[in-house]
Amino acid sequence: MKKTYIAAIAALSTLAACKPNIESQLPTKGTADFTTYVSVGNSLTAGYSDGTLYRNGQLNSYPSMLAGQFKMVGGGDFKQPLLPGNAGWPTLKRVLGYSTGCDGVTSLGPVFYSGTLDTAGSITNISAQGPFNNVGVPGIRCIDYTTAGYAYGALVLGGVGYAYRFYSSPTTEKPLDEATKLNPTFFTMWLGANDVLGYATNGGEGNGTGGTLPTDISPVTAFQSVYETVVSTMVANGAKGVLINIPDVTSIPFFTTVPAKGLALTRQGQADSLNAAYAPLGFKFSVGANYFVIQDATAPGGMRQIKSGEYILLTIPQDSIKCAGWGSLKPIPRKYVLDATEVANVQAATTSFNNIIKTSADAHGLAYVDANAYMKTLQSGITFNGVTFTPTFVSGGAFSLDGVHLTPRGYALIANEIIRVINQKYQSTISTVDVNKYSGLLFP
Amino acid sequence: MKKVCLFTASALAMSSLAFGGSFQLNLQGMRQTAMGGSGVAWPWDVSTIFYNPGGLSRLDGIQAYANLYMVSPHIKYVQTPSGGYSYDTKNHTSTPFAVYVGGPLKKDSKWGVGVGIYTPFGSSVNWGNDWTGRYVSESIKLESIFIQPTVSYKINDMISVGAGFVYAFGSVDIDKAIPVQDANGNDGQAHLSGKANGVGVNLGVQIKATDKLQFGISYRSGVNMKIKNGDATFNVAPSVASNFPNTSFSSQLPLPSIFTIGAGYKVTPKFVVQADIVFAGWKTYDSLKFDFDKNTSSLQNSHDPRLYKNTVAFRIGGNYQLCNKLAIMAGGAYDPTPSQSNYVSPDAVDANRITLSCGATYQPIKKLTVMAILNYTTTARREVSYAPDNLVGAYQIKSLVPGIGVSYNF
Repeated sequence: MKKTYIAAIAALSTLAACKPNIESQLPTKGTADFTTYVSVGNSLTAGYSDGTLYRNGQLNSYPSMLAGQFKMVGGGDFKQPLLPGNAGWPTLKRVLGYSTGCDGVTSLGPVFYSGTLDTAGSITNISAQGPFNNVGVPGIRCIDYTTAGYAYGALVLGGVGYAYRFYSSPTTEKPLDEATKLNPTFFTMWLGANDVLGYATNGGEGNGTGGTLPTDISPVTAFQSVYETVVSTMVANGAKGVLINIPDVTSIPFFTTVPAKGLALTRQGQADSLNAAYAPLGFKFSVGANYFVIQDATAPGGMRQIKSGEYILLTIPQDSIKCAGWGSLKPIPRKYVLDATEVANVQAATTSFNNIIKTSADAHGLAYVDANAYMKTLQSGITFNGVTFTPTFVSGGAFSLDGVHLTPRGYALIANEIIRVINQKYQSTISTVDVNKYSGLLFP
Repeated sequence: MKKVCLFTASALAMSSLAFGGSFQLNLQGMRQTAMGGSGVAWPWDVSTIFYNPGGLSRLDGIQAYANLYMVSPHIKYVQTPSGGYSYDTKNHTSTPFAVYVGGPLKKDSKWGVGVGIYTPFGSSVNWGNDWTGRYVSESIKLESIFIQPTVSYKINDMISVGAGFVYAFGSVDIDKAIPVQDANGNDGQAHLSGKANGVGVNLGVQIKATDKLQFGISYRSGVNMKIKNGDATFNVAPSVASNFPNTSFSSQLPLPSIFTIGAGYKVTPKFVVQADIVFAGWKTYDSLKFDFDKNTSSLQNSHDPRLYKNTVAFRIGGNYQLCNKLAIMAGGAYDPTPSQSNYVSPDAVDANRITLSCGATYQPIKKLTVMAILNYTTTARREVSYAPDNLVGAYQIKSLVPGIGVSYNF
């Protein structure tokens, strides 16, 4: 009898009753219609990462992730103007690698990818494959969005042909025309960062209170007018959507990685000679961490020590600090510094633009993602399934190697925040993205 | 460098092992397992060394006893509140066992002695290395063996007492991914492996109130399983290898004390029912800590909150003697979970458990008994999170455990 008993046990063991049978709840679309989703925006929307645009970055763009989740609630295919290669265009992407500084010290950090630039086919106009769902264009500003012939203009102005390569009429079209071609039923719009970022990443050398060059802060009135035009046009046929505001760019690693108090003196002799040299200007140095010396035309002698709350840009040549006396013997050129006035300009503009975005979202009944607030929570760490992300350069996992754009995992965090707000606004239950499915930074 | 939270959710966790036969499931004796795990009041056989040492002096004679279980729990994770993601643990079978020898020293002796060797924890949960929670847990495997020499004394016809000393030893193996990817996108891997040991006692009193009615009380002390000189090995991209030096670690896992009271009643000469109430002192399991001998900015000592609560479980079962040679038994149990819903980690998935069990014993020849049981445990869908890792989801556990055993009376 024991034998049959064991046989019975074996049979029982395979029964379905022994396997858990719970299922996840199916996502629902709520009051929105995700059939045709279009993403409006700039480099963040395009999937720009590691200092350039490349195919895998595009495939891991947050709109692409969103489209994947929308598919479960009736969303259609999501077409992106994909580049042919993975090396980057028109510059090579950065990867983590070793480089040796002028001081002979080899360290791990961002270096250019060793492959060949994706020149072949990148500039070829692929509008015949369109219209595209993701119309994010690296570099584009809000105030560009109603400019006829923007794509061509950007190209001849020495910009990159990111719009030129997929707009169907690049010489005459407005970016807004491209955004409405598919007559979307749902859209996300993360526009406006470049209306302040270009000023900031150029060390605040442009016009900080309103100008139209890429290195200026855009005039608030122009921003407001164009933003409103774009949103009104997008919703004209009843589309629902999400407006995403502008993060405070001074919290991104591009500005926070090189510390203001980053002049490290190891010997008293170094401090003594600097104190002697700068005695007329009253600068003080001691062994340990000191504030860098920066250019400032308004200060006596045209220079001063940087203060806390002012930023040195990630693009500063490190070798010039290490071996050419930048920040100590010589002041750091002002184009690598965002000083207190410039920071105030950036923050004032960000506040103004975000007010415009919030007002527009409320006026049109659209969902509003406070990306600025969300990125601030990143400061204290955002944890997803055992991985904690912070804004720290390289080790924080969220920002890519350009210090401005995100890693695929960073974009996935944003996608989840957008989903959270969509679900709240439209009573949908779209499921979140598995952040850990995507890559963070890759270490050699 | 990366704030990896590397071991925030590590995992010597008790309850996932409960499948494998913690005291909560009582996989230490065949008859008792078949009766929902109850058995503190009735000295069924020499496995009373585990269930109530006080019963040992009341056995008819020296008995040798062995049993073996096949444990292969199934756990499923599903994404919440909505989504399409679900994941099942990999199938893995472990085989907890028990061996007992003992009984009254000679016929009508008041003294009984014996020794039990049993495996109250011995299971593994394997999620694999490609699921969404891999940075919290990929797999955990724990094996343990308790050795319990025991003395029992029959004070009079009514009361007998017993005491056992427990020496516990075992091993633990933990794998989890480290969120540092190499050039090919592969995660880093951490492997923790160590030997643990601890000591405790098992005390019991059995009271034969009448010919039909018996009571039992047992107290199994907590056992603090200490791990010293465990091996932590890491496999990460070469450029960050110095952040994750291979090192030794120490840790400890406080196994809770268990206080059980129960009663057995002979309804008819052939039919006995019994029930136990089990108080488990889970509150001692407040957190799981790992101390690494070498610390770096990436490899910090970890403190992983568990915040367990004490529980009260109920077990009931009956034994019916069909004929001289054949007896059948059945029972059930309700085990509330000690875990709080925002502190449930995938290496320690738990929920209120319902257990149904049955079994049979057969005596092919005099003195020899063969036994077989089947134990089925299930939980409802439970929506939980492990807050320190922000891992949210719903889990369900199902487990069907067959077991066989044999005993011989000398």
